[in-house]
Amino acid sequence: MPITPEHAGRSYPPTTPYEVTSAKVGEFARALGAVDDGTVPPTFGIVVANEAWQPLFSDAELGLQLKRIVHGEQKFEWIRPLRVGDVVTGTLTIDRIAQRGGADMVYTTVAIATVDGEPVGQASSTMIHTPEAEVGDE
Amino acid sequence: MSESVPSVATAAKGDVIGELRHRLTRESLVRYAGASGDFNPIHWSDRIASAMGLPGVIAHGMLTMGVAVRVVTDWLGGTERIVSYQTRFASPVLVPDDDAGTELVVRGTVSEVGEETLTVLVDCRCVRPDDAEGAGDKVLGAARAVVRRA
Repeated sequence: MPITPEHAGRSYPPTTPYEVTSAKVGEFARALGAVDDGTVPPTFGIVVANEAWQPLFSDAELGLQLKRIVHGEQKFEWIRPLRVGDVVTGTLTIDRIAQRGGADMVYTTVAIATVDGEPVGQASSTMIHTPEAEVGDE
Repeated sequence: MSESVPSVATAAKGDVIGELRHRLTRESLVRYAGASGDFNPIHWSDRIASAMGLPGVIAHGMLTMGVAVRVVTDWLGGTERIVSYQTRFASPVLVPDDDAGTELVVRGTVSEVGEETLTVLVDCRCVRPDDAEGAGDKVLGAARAVVRRA
């Protein structure tokens, strides 16, 4: 069964707690060609978001496949930056679904908060999913 | 840049706060996949990328977005002041399986100055090495970072 506009509003349980470590932050910074100065790059939240997105691909009811998805838009909003030592979770919500030219536009938000309940920020994404039957039709 | 770069306190609309160039090769994509946990095969398999209707392996949009914002974090000397950062992925960044790869060319310009925050517009283009004189293709659409001034 494919994803439909009725799936808007669906939320998933928070991810298992994720600890922001200097080793992972350094690896991420170097992958961007940045100097590893110990600060957490503003897009590092995607590591938490990636984990929080997994139900999109394991929830068989949605019928989404990772390889059929391209990233359309991304926004990060930070109350404060992530810091090494933070232990955080990501909570995924499907905000809206739209169909455009045979593709599913999937709008999601991942709320990032510490395990102590302090909100840190959020990652909002638009994913463009092209269902199997449509590939190669254009 | 020939002119001096303004500080966050003195920056005015239209000021260029920095520029950078960054080369992406297939190795860059493998590193980013591991660092970010994004293992979508369109970023490492030509076979699957082609089957998905793409001309070839493309860079993770988040890799381009992450490289481009360095123009802002380098200017600020860190990430503490960043309130938000957003973009639309305007066109895919093809990364051929050769030594040259492709190059991202980034420039940050102050587009708005408010009481408490200012906005930096991040222009990001990709230029193939065989087209070094070209202006390149715009790969991020309306990319902007909002930054606390104090």
